[in-house]
Amino acid sequence: MVRILVGTRKGLFVLVSGDERRDWEIEGQHLQGWEVFHAVQDPRDGALYAATNSFVYGPTVHRSTDLGATWTRAEELGLPEESGLKLEKTWHVEPGREGEDGRMWLGGAPGVLFRSDDSGATWQVVDGLLKHETRERWMPGAGGMCAHSVQLDPTSSERMYVGISAAGVFRSEDGGESWTPANQGTAAEFLPDPYPDVGQCVHKVLLHPQRPERLWQQNHCGVYRSDDRGQSWERLDGNGLPSGFGFPLALDPNDPDAAYVVPEYGAENRVTVDGKLGIYRTRDKGASWQPMTGGLPEQAWASVMREGFSFDRLDPFGIYLGTQSGSVFVSSDGGESWSEAASQLPTILSVEASAWP
Amino acid sequence: MAVVLLPGMLAAEAGGQQRFELDAETVEEALRSLPISNLIFDERGELRRLVNVYVDGVDMRDRDGLGTALSGSETLRLVGAIAGG
Repeated sequence: MVRILVGTRKGLFVLVSGDERRDWEIEGQHLQGWEVFHAVQDPRDGALYAATNSFVYGPTVHRSTDLGATWTRAEELGLPEESGLKLEKTWHVEPGREGEDGRMWLGGAPGVLFRSDDSGATWQVVDGLLKHETRERWMPGAGGMCAHSVQLDPTSSERMYVGISAAGVFRSEDGGESWTPANQGTAAEFLPDPYPDVGQCVHKVLLHPQRPERLWQQNHCGVYRSDDRGQSWERLDGNGLPSGFGFPLALDPNDPDAAYVVPEYGAENRVTVDGKLGIYRTRDKGASWQPMTGGLPEQAWASVMREGFSFDRLDPFGIYLGTQSGSVFVSSDGGESWSEAASQLPTILSVEASAWP
Repeated sequence: MAVVLLPGMLAAEAGGQQRFELDAETVEEALRSLPISNLIFDERGELRRLVNVYVDGVDMRDRDGLGTALSGSETLRLVGAIAGG
């Protein structure tokens, strides 16, 4: 059974299929009235978590232990008064590692990370980021100053990464207590110094599960790969990519040299290039990129949010893409061919696959 | 007993209960006793800006705000601001 959790501006939808991933049924609409910035199924116990926001009732997190039939809401979530800040949005929920029962991470705006040790009932802000010495040089992107990428090294209980727009990538080697900027080689072309230590507008960061020292990054200013835990980055646009600008990123769980991006023209024209929905793949660490468009609409001015791309862990693995115009596209052959699993959904903010061998 | 009526989204968060009858001396006391109080008050305990509260049909801001005294016969209606698409 494969589930795709589709977070939208108007609630959560769940697309369900067998492992062949050919025929899909839509469950929902869950969490009516809530904007679902991201939703995930915890592989440890099957619970669903959603980063939910309302323009009236604010940011929160919902949890369901019955696949969406009923939901509970975070009891304690907010920023301490002495910070002078208020929680603006919740962006990304990340389950802890296997064996870290009850541990959850939550990224939000303004550039904040929370930890829960009780399965999302109460959340404690991560002080090391809240009080980071470089915070005064962080700035919000168009979507606010969002902490949107939370990546845990599966081989180390202490190492993790967070991506914040526009602050950059930060790495912790002590379980989130302290954080080091990890932006060397990534550009911030909108700043007077285009290579600062912080201030980069990172759009998405993913760690490869088989080779966790390797990170991939889609940035406002290019596509990057790091092979040394973010200490240095190599820029990878060109060589087949029509643009270095884009938001989402997906990986091949069985091939650390492969990655997928969806280029858009640029910051001032955020639609896919050449009036097509173009998904581009590299299988040589970013040295070259090929369009993977079989089955995708030939005429489309699409846009895909940073959380709108996902992959599962089946063999062959599946890739899932949700557009702002409400379509979900699925490939189960590495991107060679795509089919539309759903259309006419509300604006899609996130797509997350849940399937484990 | 004052009556508090919730809009659909808050009622869903309260387990489907839309109507609450409760003893409270002020609007604030009534609102804070609701199971969805952490949705209408932010982390500083301030009422969210776009939550409107009507006491017997009158905007509480035209009375004494959260401090508006209740005698026990009032009906409070919570309404989220109208906006968006």
